[in-house]
Amino acid sequence: MPEPLAGARELVDDLVGDRAAEWDRTGEIPDEVLRTMAARGLLCAGVPADFGGLGATSAANGEFTAYVGSRCSSLRSVMTSQGMAAWAIQRLGGPRQRAMYLPKLAGGQLAAVAFSEAEAGSDLSAMTTTIEPDGDAVVVRGRKVWTTAAHYADVIVVVGRYGSGAAAVVVPASAPGVTVRRVPLPSGCRAAGHADVRLDEVRLPADAVLGGGQPLMLLVTTALAYGRISVAWGCVGILRACLDAARRHARDRRQFGEPLARHQLVGRHLANLLTAEQIATRVCEHASRGWDSGSPDMVIATVLAKQVSAVQAAQGAATAVQVLGSTAAHEGHVVERAYRDAKLMELIEGSTEICQLILADHAVSMAAS
Amino acid sequence: MSAEQAITAERIEQGIAGFVSGRVNAEVPADQDLFASGLVSSMFAMELVVHLEQAFSVQILGDDLKRDNFRTVAAMTALVLRLRDAGQPADA
Repeated sequence: MPEPLAGARELVDDLVGDRAAEWDRTGEIPDEVLRTMAARGLLCAGVPADFGGLGATSAANGEFTAYVGSRCSSLRSVMTSQGMAAWAIQRLGGPRQRAMYLPKLAGGQLAAVAFSEAEAGSDLSAMTTTIEPDGDAVVVRGRKVWTTAAHYADVIVVVGRYGSGAAAVVVPASAPGVTVRRVPLPSGCRAAGHADVRLDEVRLPADAVLGGGQPLMLLVTTALAYGRISVAWGCVGILRACLDAARRHARDRRQFGEPLARHQLVGRHLANLLTAEQIATRVCEHASRGWDSGSPDMVIATVLAKQVSAVQAAQGAATAVQVLGSTAAHEGHVVERAYRDAKLMELIEGSTEICQLILADHAVSMAAS
Repeated sequence: MSAEQAITAERIEQGIAGFVSGRVNAEVPADQDLFASGLVSSMFAMELVVHLEQAFSVQILGDDLKRDNFRTVAAMTALVLRLRDAGQPADA
């Protein structure tokens, strides 16, 4: 059986080349780049082969996510969104919905997932977006903010109140009543297409609601679990890019008659970067093993991976900026982008503090060892 | 239900009760409402889903993820039995 991601890195190298800084500056990834990745199923490589996907394991998809993240965190962020949408549909959708949507997401369509609202960030129970049945249709009303990749998306999976609980509904971006407005000048992952999404009386067939039309458990938890493991691996990529830039600079640049790396205080920065990259890699590998073996431990391991990797990436990127000094102190340098992108990773898919609260709950409730 | 099926159901129920009890550090009767008793966080609910899938070789997707299927150990046992039956060829 051929390795599902064979040739994918070379394709990413071709598509991204040295253009990530330009995309960061202009806030736009060219359509052709996204469509090429999407058409090959690379933006959601975990979609099973039964649905036209590549069927990559979490471990293989994770390493690929890190590779993309080391080149361009905006493109990686679009991958995260697409993968979350596909995973939500795979988990929450019925058989017909899986058969209808997943081959499209694995074959060229672009997707986003809309959770956050102005008054409902970490506290998603405060969501005011509604999905209301109306005969054979449903009507979606609400305002979502900071929806990653919505600027590019053909379909947006929208989470909203539904009856006594919540539901997720697949909304075509072209449906009447949908308005997508870009977040101007985001601080990180600037070309990831973050946008606010207005839903004014958006009328859709009832079968656009994932599942059988009754409130389901784990709507948000499911999508976020994928988002977290994907972000965590993306942070591994950020750390690898930073380590690579810092060690090359410290080897090549000489001050006081010696390479920077020979100065002990700089050497410590390199050691810390290597340590951070290894810590993040191992915690992600551990979580992905849980996904691939179907172990219930994957739930907490995924939160841990996101938490550890995002914190390590933010610290590691700051360290790399310190090592490179003025060489990296201009817009678009790989390390300067990493510094902005990594900080954003501590804010999304459950902020560092939210992940810590989950881990604290787990610490309290876990069985004695 | 045949005698063999009854044994299977009992074994599944014991397995699920064991997992839940282990996670909440308390005995959990098969008919106790896990949501009403506040024992189930969203993280634990997801662990339950993944555990049931792994331990009993089933997939829990779509509207099978409705809350009522996870409200009690007995409800989860019924869900697993139904999914196992549905996953077998008709003549098995």
